[in-house]
Amino acid sequence: MTRPAETSSLGDRAAEALVEYREGRSDALTDFVREATPILWRTVRSQGVPRETADDVVQQTWAALVRHADSISEPQATLKWLLVTARRAAWESVRKHRTDDMRRTGLPDDDAETTTTLPDAAPGPEAELLRNERDRTLWDALRELPARCQELLRLVSLADRPDYKAISAAIGMPVGSIGATRGRCLAKLRTVLTERGETSWT
Amino acid sequence: MDMTEFDDVPGADAPLDASDAALLARVAELDDRLDPVPDGLAERALFAMTLAGLETEVMELQVVEAPVGSVRSEAPVETRTITFTHERLTVMIALSVGSAAGTVRVDGWMAPAEVLQVELRRPDGTRATLSDADGRFVLDDVPRGPASLLVHQGETPVTTPVIEL
Repeated sequence: MTRPAETSSLGDRAAEALVEYREGRSDALTDFVREATPILWRTVRSQGVPRETADDVVQQTWAALVRHADSISEPQATLKWLLVTARRAAWESVRKHRTDDMRRTGLPDDDAETTTTLPDAAPGPEAELLRNERDRTLWDALRELPARCQELLRLVSLADRPDYKAISAAIGMPVGSIGATRGRCLAKLRTVLTERGETSWT
Repeated sequence: MDMTEFDDVPGADAPLDASDAALLARVAELDDRLDPVPDGLAERALFAMTLAGLETEVMELQVVEAPVGSVRSEAPVETRTITFTHERLTVMIALSVGSAAGTVRVDGWMAPAEVLQVELRRPDGTRATLSDADGRFVLDDVPRGPASLLVHQGETPVTTPVIEL
């Protein structure tokens, strides 16, 4: 991810891009789309949306920003708006595909196990992409964490610290507890890694 | 988020330090490798934003049959079939290698079948054709890259999401 200005955060750049777009200049928004698409991708994929569908959900989130450009009252809330919109669209997509699947197979709703299964966790054979045992251990350890812990760590790993606020609000976590929650998720991840025999975490 | 189960985890309240940052960097690197952002997604999104200004209704991409192990934007074009649905219209397209080098042929079928104007929109321009009475249409020699189909049906045209041809 590129960070054009060390002093501004992703949230600041989102606000600038929106303001300029409203004034008829779209260059900043174009740059911002390129910069922030990865965090939207990660947000949508964290909800269990398959890759092909996630591609469309991310596109439609950006298209929605253009349609609602005039209705976002506080430009500083643009990043949060995008994350919330992407997340809701992802839920909607998961819900709809589940309904379609049920209709197709004619089976009654299954138990909780199927509803928590994340389809299509990786694009290809994982074994080939996990270069070594340490990667494998980390990947497995990550997936042992609660889903929202995984989501938080994935988003935080892509963000500048000032953006934690937008992220925490977007994923429905009290703003004041983001630091502690991130700390707990990291500590939990370390605990799992240690249990799996990794002694050096970095 | 109920994190109370982690309250007894040692180090939970420690501030972010260099080793946290390094662990997060590993998480980001692993995600990039195992679940990379598809090539061209930002460009497709930008094109979708351009199209969003038009008064259209966007169809839903429903089924994509791609070669095993590939994803849309990275796949060499063999033959792919994609279905788009909308409450008024279903469009299925089959993509294959075009007759000119480096191009794609789009064979489309629409239901309900009728003669309609179909436009293929790309960032550099638009091509139009008509479907026949069986709802079929063909667009040959389409350059690769992001594109969206627009069908003039009813009062509001219907468009597909942006796909990578």
